[in-house]
Amino acid sequence: MASEGASGGMPDPIHQFEIKRLIPMELFGYDASFTNSSLFMVIAVALIVGFLLFAMRGRALVPSRTQSLAETSYEFVAGMTREGMGEQGMKFFPLIFTLFMFIFTLNMLGMIPGAFTVTSHIVVTAGLAVLVFVTVLILGFAKNGLHFLKLFVPSGVPIYILPLVTMIEIISFLSRPVSHSVRLFANMLAGHITLKVFAGFIIMLLGAGAYGAIAPLPLLGAVALTALEFLVAFLQAYVFTMLTIMYLNDALHPGH
Amino acid sequence: MPDERNGEGVGRGEISPADRAKFKQRVGDLGKQLEEARSQQAENEPARDSAIRARGMAYGLRMASELVGAVLVGGLIGYFLDQALGSWPWLFLVFFLLGFAAGVLNVIRGFTRLQAEIKEATRGDIGHAVPDDEDD
Repeated sequence: MASEGASGGMPDPIHQFEIKRLIPMELFGYDASFTNSSLFMVIAVALIVGFLLFAMRGRALVPSRTQSLAETSYEFVAGMTREGMGEQGMKFFPLIFTLFMFIFTLNMLGMIPGAFTVTSHIVVTAGLAVLVFVTVLILGFAKNGLHFLKLFVPSGVPIYILPLVTMIEIISFLSRPVSHSVRLFANMLAGHITLKVFAGFIIMLLGAGAYGAIAPLPLLGAVALTALEFLVAFLQAYVFTMLTIMYLNDALHPGH
Repeated sequence: MPDERNGEGVGRGEISPADRAKFKQRVGDLGKQLEEARSQQAENEPARDSAIRARGMAYGLRMASELVGAVLVGGLIGYFLDQALGSWPWLFLVFFLLGFAAGVLNVIRGFTRLQAEIKEATRGDIGHAVPDDEDD
């Protein structure tokens, strides 16, 4: 991740996010090439499915190490779901668990030096956020009919400011997919750029004669940042999942 | 309960030597049980603490984007309405402010929820999640 293009100057911190067409394809006039981004998504899905199948192959009552890892991830997400939506929320567990595992694996894959970070592209995160948003809309109208619109009309508000409040509520609701996707993408993008910039400082300082003596400082920074990025990679997957649960819960019980 | 408790020779508020020994035994047992329970609690404490801390960090990461997202959406709605109606920049300004209000609303809602969750998780003793030397 750090040292390509070490031609004295700063390595380009954006280079790592470049999309490369691996297998050019076109579908109905659209560019549907198989890119490095697609490749890493396929790797992530293969890893998740492979890991879960491999871990659960024994189905032992006393789990092996891999099996308990799989069980831990199941119980983590199941616990979140039950806490956020109650027992009936477990109907949505497949969606929630898939989202969590997919984002978490993609974030973690991105931490491997040289790997591509799929979640650092807003197209991907926006796609996931819109998926959740549309699910919430469909679910909300299917379960509550037009009562779902009560979400925008809080009770106990004087009639003369009701239009204003409703407007604010609608904007608040529409801002969900935006903040949902921007947060994940921005955190991954900014984190990886910061890492790269710090790593670039090391090379630049080493090439600057006497200043090379302070090169270990950005190295320390890069090490600390790497640890932080691992934390962020997990936290962002967690936050995305938690919000998905919250939004789905709002769709089931509007008018809080 | 022992029968000798109200027996002759022992005044009100006093207990016989046999009872005293039993009493001491019980106090000793209780002390041991209490110590066991305390050490178990101390084992559970860091887990609970770090879970709450992770939740707090998650909320912290959330809030900034909740605010920015709402302002962005408000501004965009206003901008496109202006483009459609040719009333630039008035609707943009109005919706920008509405977006800001929505953002603040998001943050306040998120915070209220966090507060309720932490109160539930700590059973109300916010601020004592970290063990204090003087409590021992």
